[in-house]
Amino acid sequence: MGELVIGIDLGTTNSVVATVHGGQPTVIPNRSGYRLTPSVVAMARNGKRLVGALARRQAVTNAERTVVAVKRLMGRRWSAKTTQDTLPRLPYTVVAGPHDDLRIALGDQQYSPPEISAMVLTELRLDAEAFFGEPVSKAVITCPAYFNDSQRNATKDAGRIAGLDVIRIINEPTSAALAYGFGRAQAEKQVAVFDLGGGTFDFTVLHMFKGVFEVEATGGDSLLGGEDFDNRIIDWLAVPFQEKHGIDLRKDKMALQRLRDAAEKAKCELSSLKTVEINLPFISATQASGPLHLQMSLTREKLEEMTKDLVDRCMKVCEQVMNEAKVHAAQLGDVLLVGGQTRMPRIQEQVRHIFGREPSKNVNPDEAVALGAAIQGSMLLHEESEMLLLDVTPHSLGIAIAGGFFQKIIAKNTTVPTSAHHVFTTVKDDQTSAKITVLQGESEISLDNELLGEFMLTGLRSAPRGGVDIDVIFDISADGIVSVSAVDVQTGVRQSITVTASSGLTEEEIQKAALANEDWMLGQKEDPDFQDRKTKAEELFKEFEALWPKLTRAAANGLGQDPLQRAQAALSVARLQVAQKESEGLASSIDRLERMLGALKGAIERGLGGPQ
Amino acid sequence: MQRELRDLEERGNTLTYYELLGITADADGAEIRRAYLTKSKRFHPDAWYGKELGTYGPVLGKWFQRLAGAYQVLSDDESRAAYDKDHVGKLSEKERSAVEQRELSRVEEERRARERRERLMHTKGFARLGAARRLYEEAIAHAEKGERVQAISAIKAARELDPNRKEIQAKLAELEKEQARARAQSALASAREREDAGRWHEAMAAYSGAFQLDGHLYSAALGAARCALEDNDPRNASTWAAKAVELSADDPAPKLILAKAFTAMNMKARARSELATLLNKNPDHKEAKALLKAL
Repeated sequence: MGELVIGIDLGTTNSVVATVHGGQPTVIPNRSGYRLTPSVVAMARNGKRLVGALARRQAVTNAERTVVAVKRLMGRRWSAKTTQDTLPRLPYTVVAGPHDDLRIALGDQQYSPPEISAMVLTELRLDAEAFFGEPVSKAVITCPAYFNDSQRNATKDAGRIAGLDVIRIINEPTSAALAYGFGRAQAEKQVAVFDLGGGTFDFTVLHMFKGVFEVEATGGDSLLGGEDFDNRIIDWLAVPFQEKHGIDLRKDKMALQRLRDAAEKAKCELSSLKTVEINLPFISATQASGPLHLQMSLTREKLEEMTKDLVDRCMKVCEQVMNEAKVHAAQLGDVLLVGGQTRMPRIQEQVRHIFGREPSKNVNPDEAVALGAAIQGSMLLHEESEMLLLDVTPHSLGIAIAGGFFQKIIAKNTTVPTSAHHVFTTVKDDQTSAKITVLQGESEISLDNELLGEFMLTGLRSAPRGGVDIDVIFDISADGIVSVSAVDVQTGVRQSITVTASSGLTEEEIQKAALANEDWMLGQKEDPDFQDRKTKAEELFKEFEALWPKLTRAAANGLGQDPLQRAQAALSVARLQVAQKESEGLASSIDRLERMLGALKGAIERGLGGPQ
Repeated sequence: MQRELRDLEERGNTLTYYELLGITADADGAEIRRAYLTKSKRFHPDAWYGKELGTYGPVLGKWFQRLAGAYQVLSDDESRAAYDKDHVGKLSEKERSAVEQRELSRVEEERRARERRERLMHTKGFARLGAARRLYEEAIAHAEKGERVQAISAIKAARELDPNRKEIQAKLAELEKEQARARAQSALASAREREDAGRWHEAMAAYSGAFQLDGHLYSAALGAARCALEDNDPRNASTWAAKAVELSADDPAPKLILAKAFTAMNMKARARSELATLLNKNPDHKEAKALLKAL
């Protein structure tokens, strides 16, 4: 068997954890028995951290302290326009962080997006540990293929904060293809993966041969997903309401959360029904007319009409990637649909239309990604594995050059790991430092690309201009993460490089957050005896309950109210201890309750009179 | 594996891409791919994940990358043809004839395409002009849908077929100008964003990029000047402010920046003369007055 390793699909709406168990990839159900864990984190009013279904269930009543879709904020810069466009849609408060990144305000605390994601990951880790009955630390986490370097780093940071050793970040569509190809990878075949999840869209073309999975081309849109479909429905509900009553429901956090739930539910139902009723009573109120209700019926046709441009955007990406990979639809052996949003009939129809074939039904759109991640983990750690994944970098990497232009150094769709050099020459006499701006993207104008960081080459040798050549080496790891190093060509001395502009957390912040998370986990770990004591206490509660009618009669017949009141007080203390998992306190409560129970039973048997 | 790597280190640099992948030059596309994938199974660093590789680690990484590079070149017909041409001396007799065969059919294919085009070019009269007309209409349709890139490529093709038609030339010029303007506007927007965030240096670079794309963008020149000044770069500030003054002689803003930049570079006389011309036109400009007084 070998070392335990889990695969995690850290989704925008739901997350899944899986492992390879007895040679078979399997989803690990969470401790409540479900295979999907909502990627929702909330801070309850009593300050307790809630994750998953619990957090999701209380979202309506606690919208401002419930974080949903945090994946859309991972690795984003505060100053970016896309970020500013996303923020007004969120029910919780997002503020600027210290490195042009984001912080989410929950109560009096602020958390970075990786910290929130780490809470979800911690939950999944605990689920896995409960499944194996032993600690798990090694994990493969997936991210959208189109994620850039900052987003990948943020994902990796989240894993580290959750105390996981993230052995690899892999791309979701590739991961889904691994799950598809598991056990049938020997045949030579070309497949396309159409992955429309909650927040991102990816399209990837792969070739498989004798257990090797080669990604040929990948493309996507990191701000296009199921949430956008929901938002269209929300607007469709809210705009006429506003016109009629002058109230924008989207500004009311609680109403927005109800709209969001209703929109998602309607969307899902319209995958199998032709029309659904949306009914939101008491959604708002005015002084004049009292409570207001919202009731509308939505047809599948209407939904398709208002999301047509979103679907078109997906199809455009597909065509572009197929061109890049120089593949014709007819050459494809299979088209896989991944992500919950691909259940929409309109999308399946379009896919059928442009690829001229029925999409494969061999993968579960919700689980394939996590299963593939588990397979990759086992491929890396276990020798017997005969499979290999050759993935590519989704964006071109380059530097800013004079005039505001972008020079490509590593082209997109290059197989990773890879590296490339670029020689910089000093332009001034005795120049001691040089700045390198590293970007990712396809535009020839550097500003239109994503800034990864600015690096300062410092302590350059003193020489006339042109006398110092610095060879800067750009590496892209198998995770798709970029690192930069530099060497003085003439002397062979390694140059020091300092990162002067980078978003995301510093090493120190990550470690601090990881420690805080560990403390929280220790706090969660319950006393091994607690379960037994809880069972015992619950038995006692039942016995008291059964006995209570007799006791009230005995009280009236001379036992008096005192013993009953004392019992009631002891019972409520014990109930609280069960709820708060106070194992030690519960043990003494049990003793006391047992003694009371004995005495009271004795009193009843004796007829009436109580012990004095 | 170690022996294989040592061997590669010794003579790998003399191997052709074909030899590196373990195939002959008459291999077809599918064979090349299979060879690469099979080799990857041994050379990709993941195949040795978690193993103690010592000094072999970087060597392995290097040769995997060479393999991937070789595959990349050979998997594309055009780059493969160029590679074959450069390495013809290293190929065996049999391989050479295969390469020649392939090159012949590729050249043949290209020749046919060219001929088709030329035939069209030399067809006097309607066929050719009709084709140009169709392309022109296609371009207009693209332009209307806002697909500027496609529109430009269509209209360039139309110009090739019918170089004398004024209509086509005018449309092309118009589209190219529009494209530059749009790019300049997007650069300008990013520059403003950065300026608002107080990232002066980046903002200045963005403004100057916008100006290079559209030399009439007064706001770009002025923005670059403003940001350069904030970035403590009076030399650039003065250059940009001077450009802005050229574009709009009446606006006091660039003159004020110019004066400030000159002051920062300790060129007081020039600063004074800038302020004087400014006040000449705008006698009530308070900031300029104060600055002049201070000088």
